[in-house]
Amino acid sequence: MSTTLATLATHASALVSSITGEPRLRRRLLELGLVPGVSVKLLRRAPMGDPLVIQVRGYDLSLRRAEAALVEVQS
Amino acid sequence: MIRIALAGNPNAGKTTIFNGLTGLRQKIANYPGITVEKKMGRCQMGDTEVEVLDLPGTYSLVPASPDEAVTSAVLKGERSDTPAPDVVVAVVDASTLARGLFLVSQVMELGRPVVVALNMTDIAERRGRSVDAEALARHLGVPVVPLVGNRKEGIGLLLETVTKAVVPPAPTWKRTEDADPDLAEIAGRYAWVDGVAAACVRPGPPHITSSERIDHILLHPAFGFATFALIMAGLFVTLFTLATPLMDLCEGGITALGGWLTSGMADGDLKSLISDGIFAGVGGVVVFVPQIALLFLFLALLEDSGYLARAAFLMDRVLHRVGLHGKSFIPLLSSFACAIPGILSARTIEAPRERFATILVAPLMSCSARLPVYALAIAAFFGSWAPWAQGLLMLGLYVLGIVVAFLVAWVAMKIRGRQGTSPLLLELPAYKVPQPSLVVSQVWHGTSAFLTRAGSIILALSIAIWAITTYPKPHADDLANAESRFEAAWKAPTGVSPEEVATQREDAQGRFIAQAALEHSIAGRLGHALEPVIAPLGFDWKIGVGLVGAFAAREVFVSTLGIVYAVGDPGDDTADLQAAIRADTHADGTPIWTMATAASLLVWFVLAMQCISTTAVVRRETGSWAWALGQLVGMNVIAWLASFITYQVLR
Repeated sequence: MSTTLATLATHASALVSSITGEPRLRRRLLELGLVPGVSVKLLRRAPMGDPLVIQVRGYDLSLRRAEAALVEVQS
Repeated sequence: MIRIALAGNPNAGKTTIFNGLTGLRQKIANYPGITVEKKMGRCQMGDTEVEVLDLPGTYSLVPASPDEAVTSAVLKGERSDTPAPDVVVAVVDASTLARGLFLVSQVMELGRPVVVALNMTDIAERRGRSVDAEALARHLGVPVVPLVGNRKEGIGLLLETVTKAVVPPAPTWKRTEDADPDLAEIAGRYAWVDGVAAACVRPGPPHITSSERIDHILLHPAFGFATFALIMAGLFVTLFTLATPLMDLCEGGITALGGWLTSGMADGDLKSLISDGIFAGVGGVVVFVPQIALLFLFLALLEDSGYLARAAFLMDRVLHRVGLHGKSFIPLLSSFACAIPGILSARTIEAPRERFATILVAPLMSCSARLPVYALAIAAFFGSWAPWAQGLLMLGLYVLGIVVAFLVAWVAMKIRGRQGTSPLLLELPAYKVPQPSLVVSQVWHGTSAFLTRAGSIILALSIAIWAITTYPKPHADDLANAESRFEAAWKAPTGVSPEEVATQREDAQGRFIAQAALEHSIAGRLGHALEPVIAPLGFDWKIGVGLVGAFAAREVFVSTLGIVYAVGDPGDDTADLQAAIRADTHADGTPIWTMATAASLLVWFVLAMQCISTTAVVRRETGSWAWALGQLVGMNVIAWLASFITYQVLR
């Protein structure tokens, strides 16, 4: 099923399928290791639901829902 | 001599290696024209002198912020102010190996000798992924020196390796078939990185790390904010209770030193300049040092332990709503001690818009210089309230500052629009025990930055304020006037020795003369001249003189008011001053100071920009007079309006 990182359930894992969005931000998300095929896990959401913490390539990255919505994943 | 540059991801432990290499032989300056810090140091390797440059942390050589642009430009030899390094030391965190190797793949293409410093191998091992440094060196074609960041071992080996480093072969990654050039490049590099990593990482059993367990509590949906509030409240209480006795000690020491130095001098302008101008000014700077050093200590502990990134994460939702950034939290927190270190620490916000917005509102946080004024006004006019109600009023003043700061930031965001706000892409590093050497160097650099950037301005202002409160000197008839007012007011105390009566009489006489001299001075005249502007706020010329004095530093308001009311400099005990201001009346017998005046004054001190040192620092940090002066004028207009409303409603 195709969805984005923003709507992934907490503690769920998925594979990145593509990154959308404005080119500079998109490039940075890719550089941080979110390339197609990599496995990501949604670790937790902040107390008010935003931002999120994901685990990718063995480290914890925090990003807002707006950025997470640019990361399409396949679960 | 050889030049080496340290490049690596943020949190990769570059600073630890930098400190390990250079010890305290460091120099921190700015790259010309921008507020990115340039950290240089030196060390010795046999007969060779080594110059070490610690570059800002970066994820890529295609920069996304001014900091990253510096790293990229220096490594490519594109900055005229900084010669290109002879050898690049790529610092890689073993626990985030792939992301580090991505940067290494770019560094290896620069055509310069490269050495990889493999850091935090201990954390990687605990996470069940031990990295084989020899295999890594073979697969990269670059020497790899393993380091456990907080121990000296390895630093010597690193230096030795650096002197023998050669230009490596280009990494053998290939673009993928993707049509998009960015994707083809980055996916290609990561495919190569994954191949290298797979060949040299010995995966252990996956297990829950201690960081995950800690985050489970500290970032918990319900307990997360509670523990956050607890940590911040603890930090605050400690900051003020620990710092106060130290601050008193500093102030007392400086005053005593000034007194001792001038004790042999004849009374006169020179003595007054030294004791009331220079030493009062130095005291005004030094008095803040314990608190600012403590503040930097707490910030260093929070940052080095890994909690500061979590705090930014927890606060981002609220701060982002009003046009700020999760990372604005640190500068705003610091500003409760003093806006100057707060504004200096806004450098950690890479996003220019959010950084400017943070600098704009940071002085609205109630700094410790406002505290004596709050304490005086509350004690004098709300002293009949229950202690908890007085405490609540004090808290309300802090909250008022925060609320107005958020409003200002929100309005600024609405004016400029949401376009161009920056994303939050924040790594939450593994928790670790702070390293003493790193903490010490952060406290040292933070405090010395405060002293050099603010100290000279505060000192110059103190001397200027001394001059305008001293000159022109009163005429003979002013003094005669003061004398007769003193004679009318003087009541000899009963039941004390004649010597004691004489001393008290002389003190009181001196206070009346000091009052006359102040009223005759430029500052006294300014107070009178300000009266039409500040009368609608309920302030008379005496408060006006206090406000003039407050431009040196806000807490000077209290001592200036003490002189205006002829009770002398009150120091810590403001009981006499409280009585004097409560008793003061207009010509028609109505009291000058009412609860409305006190409330209006409190609102003014919360919101007004009175601190010229802060304005000077804002000018330096933004590189723009328009920002600094706009903030100065804007805050004072807001403060005037708010005080006006407060006074007119309550009177």
